[in-house]
Amino acid sequence: MLKIYISSIKVFLKTLKKKLFSNLFNTIITLLIILFISVACFNTFEWLISQANWKVVISNLPLYAFGSYPPNEQWRPATWIISLLLLSIFTLCGPEWKWLRKNLLIIWVGTIPLGLYLLYGGFGLSPIMSRHWGGLTLTILLTVCSSLLSLPFGIVLALCRQSSLPLIQKLSSIYIDAMRAIPLIAVLFFGQLLIPLFLPVGIEIDRVWRAIFAFTLFVSAYIAEDIRGGLQSIPNTQIEAANSLGLNQYQIIQFILIPQALRIALPALTNQSIGLFQNTSLMAILGLVELLGVGRSILANPEFIGQYIEVYVWLACVYWMVCTIMAILARHLEQRMTINQANF
Amino acid sequence: MEPIVVAKNLTKSYTKGLRALDNVSLTVNQGKVLVVMGPSGSGKSTLIRTFNGLETFDKGELSILGIKVDSTHDERKIQKIRRRVGMVFQQFNLFPHLSILENITLAPVHVQKRRQIEAEEYGMYLLSQMGIDSHAKKYPSQLSGGEQQRVAIARALALKPKLLLFDEPTSALDPERITEVLDAMRRLAEQGMTMIVVTHEIGFAKDVSDQVLFMDSGKVIEKSPPNIFFSNARHERSRKFLNQLDKH
Repeated sequence: MLKIYISSIKVFLKTLKKKLFSNLFNTIITLLIILFISVACFNTFEWLISQANWKVVISNLPLYAFGSYPPNEQWRPATWIISLLLLSIFTLCGPEWKWLRKNLLIIWVGTIPLGLYLLYGGFGLSPIMSRHWGGLTLTILLTVCSSLLSLPFGIVLALCRQSSLPLIQKLSSIYIDAMRAIPLIAVLFFGQLLIPLFLPVGIEIDRVWRAIFAFTLFVSAYIAEDIRGGLQSIPNTQIEAANSLGLNQYQIIQFILIPQALRIALPALTNQSIGLFQNTSLMAILGLVELLGVGRSILANPEFIGQYIEVYVWLACVYWMVCTIMAILARHLEQRMTINQANF
Repeated sequence: MEPIVVAKNLTKSYTKGLRALDNVSLTVNQGKVLVVMGPSGSGKSTLIRTFNGLETFDKGELSILGIKVDSTHDERKIQKIRRRVGMVFQQFNLFPHLSILENITLAPVHVQKRRQIEAEEYGMYLLSQMGIDSHAKKYPSQLSGGEQQRVAIARALALKPKLLLFDEPTSALDPERITEVLDAMRRLAEQGMTMIVVTHEIGFAKDVSDQVLFMDSGKVIEKSPPNIFFSNARHERSRKFLNQLDKH
């Protein structure tokens, strides 16, 4: 075993020598790049270890996680986030029980009502208004709720766009094209500032829900286009086969078209939800104290003034970590879906 | 004997005045096997696809299992027909996202509202009839072409149809795989299934069919029993076609 290991290192070194130091010019380039990388690494590490003052991060950890949620109730969002994390780990490396794998999706969807219950309170927990929600909890809540709402909405839009009824088809393509022509920030402004004006007096929608609503309107247009791509790549012969079995139009959509279209669109949908997660940071501008908003409010505190780099490096790490988890989960899902049906 | 298919003067024309079907009339009785032959573009696929409503026609009358359809293409009647007529396609057209057994149970469960367990039992029985019950849990892409086509036959049989339509069922298969599909079809014919088969397999047509229908450019050129058609075709066009087939 060890011998194989050593010999593979030898081979590696040989190829390294052949590729990077084959002549004088290559050697110089290689050395320059090594120099550049090591200087950059050294400076970064030096800053990270000796210059940076991590107190701004460490002493505010609960704030980054939960915003201004009342401290003695912070176990509630914590429970939710930890359960999401455990479920992710479980999904990736849990046991292969069939009944469990089949119901995993339901459990995932179930985390949303659980999260809302834990955050809102009621039924035995003390109620907490949404203006106290914040930090990573709020970011995740915005992402999860918006993507879950925009998926069915996007599917319906995509189906309408493929519809044979001209009115429905036109309306949905106008909607999709309009949404794709408006910048996200404008839609979010609409959600935060204009919706309250349109609503009759006395009815008020929570700011968080207005944000979720605006994100859903926006993202579903993009999701509709991704799913339409999936629908169009299903050959017509599939519909003929389903027709000849006597399935009706709705059954064909439900059992034949949507499952195949979703599978084809899955990589694009992952992209959308990761994009959505990052776009929730725009809400910081519109006054929701989500992850980026917390960072900004901490920087406004005189005690931590000027420590931009620490805060933003830390936030970048958090965003990176959550995005990586999402990407790994999506890849896992893709592999499971294509495991038996690689070529169709 | 009860006629399963009665077609009278079926005509279908495309916009350019080309006729896909030109006054086609035929009758297929219960338990009979009709083989439809003809060069490509002769309208034979179009003909059998009108029998389960995948194609419409402009003029003529059609009665399938006593259900009358006309050029208005009444959706409800066509659904009724499709529940009793099975179809097997050249390219199998299995659903790639469903396992073999799920492919077979989909229609019985959702169209005929049968219980899942019952549909699965019958599905497994059909698969064992086709000699592929060991693949029930697999997905279509894991099977060979011949196996996929036998699954497609089992899927068509799952609705317990009174009539089976085959649209060139062996044309997309390797020569070695053709036999296994044809054997399955032979067994069905022996069990008394009424079948209409578009094929170029002369051996199958000679052994199994009761009538051979020869078509060219939308018209029925000749309709004869196989022993007459293959030894002593009445029509010049049929003889020419058979000569061409023999050369291959």
